[in-house]
Amino acid sequence: MRRLLIVLSLVLGACAAGPSDQQALCGPSGRLRVGLVGSEEGRRGSAGVILAEQEQFKLQELLMASSRCDVLLEPVLSSEQARLRLRNREWDLAFLPPGLTAVALEQEGQFSLVRQLGRRQNSKSQLIVRADSRFKTRADLRGTRLGLLPRGSLTGFYLPLFNLHGLTLSRVGYELTYQDLMQGLQNGKFDVIAWDGALSTQGTDIRIIHEDTHAIPLGALALSQPLLAQDYKPFVQKLDDNVSQLPPSLGYATGMIPDLLMLQELRAIVSKVEGWSLPQAGQPYVVYGTPSRSMPGEGPR
Amino acid sequence: MPAVKKLFFGSGQRPLRQQLAITLAGILSLSILISILLLNILFGWQARQLIDQRAAFFMDAMLSVREYTSKKVNPILAPLNQGAGLFRPEAVPSYSAQTVAGLLKGKPEFREYSYREAAINPTNLRDKADSFETGVIEAFRRNPSLKIQSGEKSTPLGTVHYVAQPIKVGKESCLVCHSTPDRAPASQLLAYGDTGGFGWKLNEIVGTQIVTVPQAAVFMAKDRSLLLTAALLVVAFGVVGVVMNAVLDRLILRPMRDISRKADEASVTPATVNFEERERRDEIGLLARSFERMKQSLAISMQMLKDRQGKA
Repeated sequence: MRRLLIVLSLVLGACAAGPSDQQALCGPSGRLRVGLVGSEEGRRGSAGVILAEQEQFKLQELLMASSRCDVLLEPVLSSEQARLRLRNREWDLAFLPPGLTAVALEQEGQFSLVRQLGRRQNSKSQLIVRADSRFKTRADLRGTRLGLLPRGSLTGFYLPLFNLHGLTLSRVGYELTYQDLMQGLQNGKFDVIAWDGALSTQGTDIRIIHEDTHAIPLGALALSQPLLAQDYKPFVQKLDDNVSQLPPSLGYATGMIPDLLMLQELRAIVSKVEGWSLPQAGQPYVVYGTPSRSMPGEGPR
Repeated sequence: MPAVKKLFFGSGQRPLRQQLAITLAGILSLSILISILLLNILFGWQARQLIDQRAAFFMDAMLSVREYTSKKVNPILAPLNQGAGLFRPEAVPSYSAQTVAGLLKGKPEFREYSYREAAINPTNLRDKADSFETGVIEAFRRNPSLKIQSGEKSTPLGTVHYVAQPIKVGKESCLVCHSTPDRAPASQLLAYGDTGGFGWKLNEIVGTQIVTVPQAAVFMAKDRSLLLTAALLVVAFGVVGVVMNAVLDRLILRPMRDISRKADEASVTPATVNFEERERRDEIGLLARSFERMKQSLAISMQMLKDRQGKA
């Protein structure tokens, strides 16, 4: 009932606002394809999903009422799947964490950032091992089994690989979340894993092998060129006006445009790592800067 | 009521031509009104038929895509998904049907159509059933003999007509990806996680295929057709009215006025008046012949009167 009232008030508000606000903001497919990865990498809610069911529907209704277009909302857990969606231009707008924000900006100007997502926290890309591990330094990691988040994650993929440049790994494995990576580390599936310094280790005995010095920027709401070519400002304004209806976990920042300068250096790192031949799941990997020979649409195997 | 009767059938208080015009206008207006009411029902029924036909065609097209994917594409791609590499959703019938529907939607003529495969517990959270879709699925579950549901659905963008069919787990092979995470391909787990789309059972109704087709455009077209038909009826009946009025004037009223004028003249100088209309074989000729006889009688009477006055 409350949801119905919200939608009703938005629609009535849209009707009362005048004919210019009535224009639908749709993508080239005739609907608004929305990607939802969230503002943070490698995390999911208590129900094992990005957003609770009610929050997801509420967000979809708000987007529909604000854009006046049929909305196809796709929550995606895997940053690799999200990266492919961005690259194949399958999303018209997306709620992205930092790594995918950098990826979106690398898509030949296909995306621009219109709002900041997430809350400031001390995110740092780390490489951690178990406290009882014999590995003490990065150099010791030669021949180890590395656990990463899927391609597309800044703290869980690009920065760890960037920091391991030159090493030979016996096996690279992937997990969707840091929680799963930690589990893999604890049960011996991995020798070393990528980790986000902002996350609590919950009393588990771990040792940090390396911590990257780069400050991790916040996520962003990215709009694709076809939307940017239209009058998208009333849509963003409506999101700003109804920020209380947006899921709090998204950390949508009203009126805040992401700082591109903060992303500049990290974009360069993402671009550099993307140029390498990237690790395949379950395979040995030499972290060398050889140009990528992966086929279009292919990711880590 | 007597006033209406008086207006339509007249009481001799106004010229016949005016009375005829009023009567004709009344009859024609009533005819147009009844025609439009009947046509509205007919056009409405035809519009509903058209919407149903379009929805059925769209649904059949999507079912065909699903079948093609299931029989031809999945056997080729499914082995590729077994490893921990990139999951190929093209192997999934639901994905291919929804992708094809998305491509169709990109064309202006299909812009307002939609096709969705919604499930209570889907693998891809994009396909999560909303409250309306959950209601549809629950109705299919409660009544397994129910094969189709249709009706109107209100959305923030307007009212659409929907047709829904159940999605039933009909093959054991479906359970590879949807029973337990340990049976599912590693690539699927890496793409969608291990929380959604599991626990399905054979022959269970897990979701629904919903086609929505626009009805506002069809009903607007129906209203436009009705308006055009009404306008044509008004023009046609108007022309008929004017022509009928002119014909009546030429056939009846004008000869009657002529006969009336001649009768007036005959009352004074009967010898100079000639009722040429008496040659006609219709009722006007009959009237003219009557007046001719009356004129001749009058002339004889007047002559007899003159003769009697002369003798006196």
